[in-house]
Amino acid sequence: MKTVTPRDMRIPRKPLLWMAAALLFTLPSMFGSLALWVPLLFLTTLAAKFWMEPRDYRLRSNILVLVLSAAALAAIVMSYGSIQGIEPGVSLIVTLMGLKILEAHTAREFQVMVMVAFIVCLCGFFLSQDLAIALCLLVSFGLLVVALVQFHGGISRARPAIRIAATLLAQAAPLVVLLFLLFPRIVTGFRIQLGQSRYSAAGFSDHLAPGDVALLANSSEVAFRAEFPDGAAPPPGSMYWRGVMMWQAQGFDWKASASPVALPRNRQPAAAGDGIRQWITIEPHGGRWVFALDWPGEAPPGTGLAPGNYLWSGQPIRKPRRYEVRSYPEIREKKLHPREQRMYMDPGIAVSPEIRNLVSSWHPPGATGRDVISAALLYFRNEGFRYSLSPGEYRKNDIDEFLFRRRLGFCEHYAAAFATLMRVAGIPSRVVSGYLGGEYNEIGRFYVVRQSDAHAWCEVWLPELGWQRVDPTAVVAPDRVNLGLNAFLERRANDGQTVASGTFVRGFVRSPVFTKMRLAWQTLNYAWDTRVLSFDADAQESLFANIGMPDQSMLIWLGAALVASVLFVGIYLGWSQWRSRPPGDQVLALYHEFCERLGKLGVTRESTEGPQAFARRASGRLPNEAEQIAQISTDYVTLRYSSEPSVLTLDRFAELVRGFAK
Amino acid sequence: MRRGAWPIAPTKSFAGLVFVLLAMWYAAASQNNAAAYVLLFALGAVFCVSIPHTLLNLGNLRANAESAKPVFAEQEVSLPIEVTNRSRRGRYAIRVELPHHKGARERIEQIPPGKSARVMLRFAAPQRGEHTIEHVSLSSAYPLGFLRSRQKVSSPQQYLIYPKPAGDPALPSDRRGQQDIQPRSEIGGGDDFAGVRDYIPGESQRHIDWKAVARGQPLMTKQFARETAGELYLDFANMNGLEFEARLSQLALWVIEAERARRPYGLRLPGREFPPALGEAHFHRCLRALALHK
Repeated sequence: MKTVTPRDMRIPRKPLLWMAAALLFTLPSMFGSLALWVPLLFLTTLAAKFWMEPRDYRLRSNILVLVLSAAALAAIVMSYGSIQGIEPGVSLIVTLMGLKILEAHTAREFQVMVMVAFIVCLCGFFLSQDLAIALCLLVSFGLLVVALVQFHGGISRARPAIRIAATLLAQAAPLVVLLFLLFPRIVTGFRIQLGQSRYSAAGFSDHLAPGDVALLANSSEVAFRAEFPDGAAPPPGSMYWRGVMMWQAQGFDWKASASPVALPRNRQPAAAGDGIRQWITIEPHGGRWVFALDWPGEAPPGTGLAPGNYLWSGQPIRKPRRYEVRSYPEIREKKLHPREQRMYMDPGIAVSPEIRNLVSSWHPPGATGRDVISAALLYFRNEGFRYSLSPGEYRKNDIDEFLFRRRLGFCEHYAAAFATLMRVAGIPSRVVSGYLGGEYNEIGRFYVVRQSDAHAWCEVWLPELGWQRVDPTAVVAPDRVNLGLNAFLERRANDGQTVASGTFVRGFVRSPVFTKMRLAWQTLNYAWDTRVLSFDADAQESLFANIGMPDQSMLIWLGAALVASVLFVGIYLGWSQWRSRPPGDQVLALYHEFCERLGKLGVTRESTEGPQAFARRASGRLPNEAEQIAQISTDYVTLRYSSEPSVLTLDRFAELVRGFAK
Repeated sequence: MRRGAWPIAPTKSFAGLVFVLLAMWYAAASQNNAAAYVLLFALGAVFCVSIPHTLLNLGNLRANAESAKPVFAEQEVSLPIEVTNRSRRGRYAIRVELPHHKGARERIEQIPPGKSARVMLRFAAPQRGEHTIEHVSLSSAYPLGFLRSRQKVSSPQQYLIYPKPAGDPALPSDRRGQQDIQPRSEIGGGDDFAGVRDYIPGESQRHIDWKAVARGQPLMTKQFARETAGELYLDFANMNGLEFEARLSQLALWVIEAERARRPYGLRLPGREFPPALGEAHFHRCLRALALHK
């Protein structure tokens, strides 16, 4: 005889489908950050489950599950080299989740699977905090709620389940905002830190090697975004975002101090001129450099001003961070210590006679530093130097090759070569790397600075003026500086110099609709970074301070958050109770209205008089209305006292009462 | 407070939720990850707003236990219960249970506003006699399954359990000798098929017309010609060597067998007597007397 499986022993198919959809939305966060086989394997298990489920196949053997888990662990260790860190940990969770899905069979296990799916969602946020991926993960969260509602609500059709889940999510939204603002953020006291994610993306670095910046130039990733709250933005051509100062020269290879010590306040050079205030939201890069317009005046909290006047964060930047900084057009640093003088004048390589000859040709007796600089710039302008993203490979001692033969380079080559020439000429010089320009977003009124805006320039020391910025690239390719790299390349493309992409695509990319969409998306991204991701304990504290709350202990805020949640639930409960009140109350209210209308006609109901007796008395007094009075009274008694559910006739009753004695 | 007295109580999966929330909080706080906080708060807030949904899902529900057909002890009682939704909202995933009967549990997927739904609760019949159901328990884990709201609805209803038929299936001979028939050595021992009649719950299944059942017809018992004879008195007093309950069981079995054999039978209990008769009304009257006999 066939054994009957209880219906609720099997996982219902529809909630399982919703959960699978939710898990699909967690995949974008995994591609690109995890080893490729992890999301692919996960996708395969999902597909396998849907093939196995109707056939009643499942992973029954515990030994097989153990063996597969061990294999997954081994594969992860082989892929990443260790089990520590975020990526291997997430890979492990995702792989085991896949196994659990293959194994799960009963309704009880469904609950476990949904819980694990929430954890997978959470892992997604540790892999990437990009807005697009965050949206995917939130969609995934919503789908999990739908799966739960469909599973526990016993709703077989999709639409009511979606409706109920959407109601829950909409009602939860204000509470989420409240909790986000009020819930205390504890930052200390965690002994065990989860492993740190590795930042493998092309990024800025504290050392300039041939080809580095050119590599960045191909990346459209956002480096940071800047707002000018006072509205005084310099033109993009002079927006030099200072990153790191490099002074250890070795041909094309320049290095910054490995761990600069912040200057004490009394040794910081005094700033001059009107400051430009900036709000900068920096994307996590795992390093410690922090950007600001040339020249940052004072260091924002958590950072220091390193020798060479650049900002240096105390902690590696692993999440978006927003800071305010004020920059000044010039600083008064009028003294160069002899030790510094030596440091900034060491060319670091064996200088070839060709270079010596060239430099001495700019150095007639009586020439000032300025004359030498102008002569050098003139040399770059007039001797057929060209600007190119792919100048071919230079080794670090190939300055001669660059200066006298190939004459083709990117900003880093010009900066390194120029600074080396200055050192040979006896002028202290250094290379600064950072970003130049930025794209203005009209909707959000901020500038987006991308990795492709990376730039390197020089600074030379003139005894009467102090450090002066010299950008040799501006001489070679002025448009690069004034238009920004992308526009510059585009213009060149129009001149037929680079390969053209499809005209249709280019037409679409240039169309105003696309531009609007792109700007809006950027603004949303910016809001996500500034309002959400960079809201931490400090931001919370300053929020409390801003709304006039003195500094309170954590417990009080925890209490406030809880009270707020309870209040919210209570208010909603009352409102909802009122909404779903039984029709009896309405019937009574309508009957009172009816009595009131009769009262106006001169028949008042005694407080002890029953509805039937009152109806008889009223009919006697108002024979014209007798029929209606009888009808309404009978309906009232039926609606109110009959045990049959009577929602359907309520509308008719209301109509009768409202139509009575108008 | 007794279990089930709380209007709302966590389910087993609530422990899972607490674990996930704690894990999320720990991860978010130790990494200082605002996006993880967003997910944590979203899950927490969805849980919070689901509480009133869970509570209200039982609001304005009325349960009414209807009368159950009497059954024999150790069989299964089927108690129909009508649950009426008097609110203006749909009600989902209502579990209907009887507080003191394990396994008496059914789930109603959905009750539209103003409508009612009916479920059949099945549970093992306790010992013979008349039993009373005081309450029906309604509960629901809608919508997320982390909490279950409960409500006891008063719905008094009685049901009757006949004694378990047991003992010797052979009918006693007619002690008064009113009719001259031979005592039967075997029930239904006749050879001539004389048609079918409704199956009486509790009687032997030997003569059920299984072929008819296979054709989808209700349970019928085959009758044989020699079954229709004689009239007998079943007397509680004339049963030596049997315990009190065993006597009632034996009498119940005989009532069934006599009814099946279409032999008019009477029943004599201390203080009560049913003159010989046949038919469903008489049959149930006799069994009822046996069930309630003290």
